[in-house]
Amino acid sequence: MTDTHRSAPIDLAAAYALGALDPAEVKEFEAFLATSPEARRELAEFREVVALIGLGTDAKAALAGPSAALRARVLASAPSLQPPAGDDLAARRAAVAPRPRRPLRGALPLLGAALAASLLLVLNLRGDRQQLRRTLLGRDSALAAQTTALEARDSMLASLLEPGIAVYQLTASGNPVPGVQLFVSRARGRAVLHAFRLQSAPAGRAYQLWFIRDGKPVPSVTFNAGAAGEALIADIALPPGGTISAAAVTEEPAGGSAQPTTAIILVAPLPAS
Amino acid sequence: MTDLLRAESADGDVVARAALGEERAVAQLYDRYAPVVYAVACRIVAEHADAEEVVAETFAQAWRDAPRFDPTRGSAAAWLVTIARSRALDAVRARTRRDRVAPAAVARGDDAPGMGRTDSDPADLVDLGERQKRVRDALEVLPPSQRQAIELAYYEGLSQSEIAERIREPLGTVKTRVRLGMLKLRDSLRPYFLEAAE
Repeated sequence: MTDTHRSAPIDLAAAYALGALDPAEVKEFEAFLATSPEARRELAEFREVVALIGLGTDAKAALAGPSAALRARVLASAPSLQPPAGDDLAARRAAVAPRPRRPLRGALPLLGAALAASLLLVLNLRGDRQQLRRTLLGRDSALAAQTTALEARDSMLASLLEPGIAVYQLTASGNPVPGVQLFVSRARGRAVLHAFRLQSAPAGRAYQLWFIRDGKPVPSVTFNAGAAGEALIADIALPPGGTISAAAVTEEPAGGSAQPTTAIILVAPLPAS
Repeated sequence: MTDLLRAESADGDVVARAALGEERAVAQLYDRYAPVVYAVACRIVAEHADAEEVVAETFAQAWRDAPRFDPTRGSAAAWLVTIARSRALDAVRARTRRDRVAPAAVARGDDAPGMGRTDSDPADLVDLGERQKRVRDALEVLPPSQRQAIELAYYEGLSQSEIAERIREPLGTVKTRVRLGMLKLRDSLRPYFLEAAE
């Protein structure tokens, strides 16, 4: 069966929501989606229709419902209650906090015994104290490094939590895996990118972020996945001027490209407000 | 109807609390939508045991993705049904046998699937029943050819090209049927979904 009538991109929204487009049409529609608020509105509505069709599915089966055993199994698989992030940070800080009295608690009684016993033992203890001092200096150094790392994370956290930050989720064809989150401060013209469940790009290749400004792609940073499939890029500059309507990710040569050379892998609209 | 919209408006908050592991929110989300997820799964995979597996996988993915759920991009119902359809269609594609059990037989299964409903809020069941009736009514008034095209895409995961091959009609005709059918459903069901903010 041949298609003699090409659909206008906006007319693909209904079939896209149903997952009924062919791969070439999916790419065409997703590229259009990145630039068209109207297409995004259409798609959001058709996704609701798709959900509602599910609600109206097979009344008999729906009224029977899943078993009690399944309910118990699913609820048991849910995440357990997590403490707020601040508590985690405090706990980690407590774990690396200095404890200067601890070595001395063991050293002082020994020192008293040594003074009463012999000068040799005193000298030995002095040696021990020097060793303890070196150990403490080493711990101070490690503590300083950890404190610096924590301060960097605090700084990153503060920039992510400042007023006016908007968070966008870039998705791949409606599939949540892999994902990229973009934290955008339009007031400061900066963004932070967090990618997860991302496969490493092939050798010599990298992922590249694009901002769609006035309907045209503007190249931004390149990045790749770490061992855990994650990437975190801070302090990304937003393109100045114009209207930024979307962000997208493509795979490009490792040095990046001036224009996208492959299809969009992930995309998200960046509405102005 | 107002109660329904109010319930849906609170879904984003429920998902956020479920993501933090709040037991009540987790149970609330499951009890509200498991019947729907199960119904979609039943219709696609056609067997009770497989449908339950799809429900388990759907919620397992929902717990993982809940921290990133964005209520401005669609309702929790749309989110969960999208996951469920994807999982169910994957299960069908992975299955080698073709002798599907008629969906109606699922409801007559021997292992008392209805027991799980004892934990659901009766008000949720009333809302669900009302909504199902509205959706069925909307589907029933569609021209049969449009309903057929949409159902082949929805429940069998066929693309428009594959539908055209299956029913031996031109691709352009299938595309028109899908779009017109979806437009009619959107118009008749709009009062029943939570408008996604742009």
